[in-house]
Amino acid sequence: MKWRKLGKLFDPTQHVLPNRCVEFAQSPQTLVLDDRVRVYFSTRERDSSGKYLSHVAFADFSRDMARLLEVSKHTVLPLGGLGCFDEHGIFPINVLQDGDRVLAYTTGWNRKVSVSADASIGLAISNDGGHSFQRHGTGPVLTASLNEPFLVADAFVQRYGGVYHMWYIFGTKWEKFIEAEAPDRVYKIAHATSADGLSWNRDGRQIVGDRLNGDECQALPTVFALDGIYHMYFCYRQASGFRKDHRRAYRLGYAHSTDLENWVRDDGLAGIDLSDEGWDSQMQCYPHTFQVDQKYYIIYNGNEFGRTGFGIAELER
Amino acid sequence: VHGTFGGWQMTETVMAKNIFKWNKLGKLFDPKDLTIASWMKEFAQSPSALIMDDCVRVYFCSRPTPGPDGQYLSYISYIDLDRTNLTNILRICPEPVMELGKFGTFDEFGTYPVSVIRTGEEIRAYYAGWTRCESVPFNAAIGMAVSHDNGKTFHRLGDGPVLSYTPDEPFLLGSPRVRKFGDQWRLWYVAGKEWRVIDGSPEPVYKIRTATSDNGIDWVKHRRDIIADKLGEHECQACPDVTFSNGIYHMFFSYRDIRDYKSGIGGYRIGYASSADMIEWDRDDTAVDIQLSESGWDSEMVNYPHIFQVDGSSYMLFQGNGMGRAGFGLAVLESEDAWART
Repeated sequence: MKWRKLGKLFDPTQHVLPNRCVEFAQSPQTLVLDDRVRVYFSTRERDSSGKYLSHVAFADFSRDMARLLEVSKHTVLPLGGLGCFDEHGIFPINVLQDGDRVLAYTTGWNRKVSVSADASIGLAISNDGGHSFQRHGTGPVLTASLNEPFLVADAFVQRYGGVYHMWYIFGTKWEKFIEAEAPDRVYKIAHATSADGLSWNRDGRQIVGDRLNGDECQALPTVFALDGIYHMYFCYRQASGFRKDHRRAYRLGYAHSTDLENWVRDDGLAGIDLSDEGWDSQMQCYPHTFQVDQKYYIIYNGNEFGRTGFGIAELER
Repeated sequence: VHGTFGGWQMTETVMAKNIFKWNKLGKLFDPKDLTIASWMKEFAQSPSALIMDDCVRVYFCSRPTPGPDGQYLSYISYIDLDRTNLTNILRICPEPVMELGKFGTFDEFGTYPVSVIRTGEEIRAYYAGWTRCESVPFNAAIGMAVSHDNGKTFHRLGDGPVLSYTPDEPFLLGSPRVRKFGDQWRLWYVAGKEWRVIDGSPEPVYKIRTATSDNGIDWVKHRRDIIADKLGEHECQACPDVTFSNGIYHMFFSYRDIRDYKSGIGGYRIGYASSADMIEWDRDDTAVDIQLSESGWDSEMVNYPHIFQVDGSSYMLFQGNGMGRAGFGLAVLESEDAWART
């Protein structure tokens, strides 16, 4: 694989965003429409306690990804109610055209006491082409289970052969790697299947091997098919010290498969890496691949987890 | 027949049926009464019986002294009762049968209530695990642990819950009561519906639900509230304990108002429902008769019923004042004819 970087695509600090959001455009994910490509992302407001709340917004681009058409000014999907899994943020959101409707698999966040937060995967449905979404119930469709005790998140859903496939992550442990600091989490990529997109079968198994060590954190898998092979991009980092030390920060990882079950990790084939300088020189994370007009793109966040937006690269064939 | 037509018809209905009249045998256990050193300091909640050869083991939930933050942790415990005299305690659990969950897990801050069942060589404990949250005080999900040493210690199958949240059961899965009828596992539990702000504090509303399983691990939820409200849609229901007798399924449970429930006024009372098929339940709280005492440990509350039958008699375990802060006790069914309801 060889990706040609097209540069920064969207900077949230240059736009007025809904829900009092001022920074961050994280985990961009696309819905390809007839006349545009809609890029959903999560942006942030600070609540009265000074903590962040992540909200969903979107930016529409021309199909050649060259022109920004407009930025959403409304609430695409409100946060969950008191005590719900998605009360304190929705990040990320993955959308899938499903007949006349658009399915959105959300990761909802709720704050806790001993650890900072937990997450589960919810479903919301749009009947207006992705302009707004309504929840399928107030609870999650995928959450903690016997072998996935917490942090079930980062769903990416595609249909192959009449089956819905979800790649997602689950937490394996919370640990104080540095005694004086708050506990950090470890999470891994897993896979689930479904006949209806609602009820999912899963086995709580890590499907992509570690590169760094057993505490490697793997996040945001995205999968596409090309030339008879399935390609997965994701991001990975060290479990601690990853916020300030860019040597421990997120990088893009890559794996390939011929059967959607068994994956061979080979980051050396990813064909994209940090820039020498600029917005993606210290970190690359939250990749999303998509296809439009016979072109393949990857959009992703750079330094500071996407505080200043996301960029794009095109696959060279 | 429900008496909307004044007292006469109501009286006739009541007279025509058998009543479950429970005669109290007194308090069984309160850790505050102990004269020996124990890890248990306060509370004896949610009793659940397991019949053994020489004793009736009663599992329950108890608490050490609260931490520096004033908050309690709840652990699973047991006492063994003499089968020939159930008010005689033979043994007291020397330490919790299971540790709390790890950092960030669903049962990090408590395991309560508990329901215990024997299956083959193992004993299983189903329990609600508690975690602490920021916007609301807590959340719960249902876990399962297994004992291979005849119930002295229990070990988790995994770090997560066996019954967790779904689109129409968004939070607070608790009060598990497990039974096995034939090859089918049955779990009755409660599911949270909403958090309401009452006098400035978040208070949950939760209802009784059920799930079935072939192995007791993978559960299929039936996805509906199965017991009609009596106090209104804000009624909170808990502790659904089901027994099968005389061809009928009998459920004793607890219910309370959303307000003033920490005292006796709006606090948990015992309700009753019956069913021929475990699908449709006919609620009739008038069928259960267990009185508050005039004074003492169970004068304000009698709730969290658990029914067991041993050596030809039927018994109810229940917790007393302050949701079991004053311990739990035992009552015996006055007449076995009560099970033959028409």
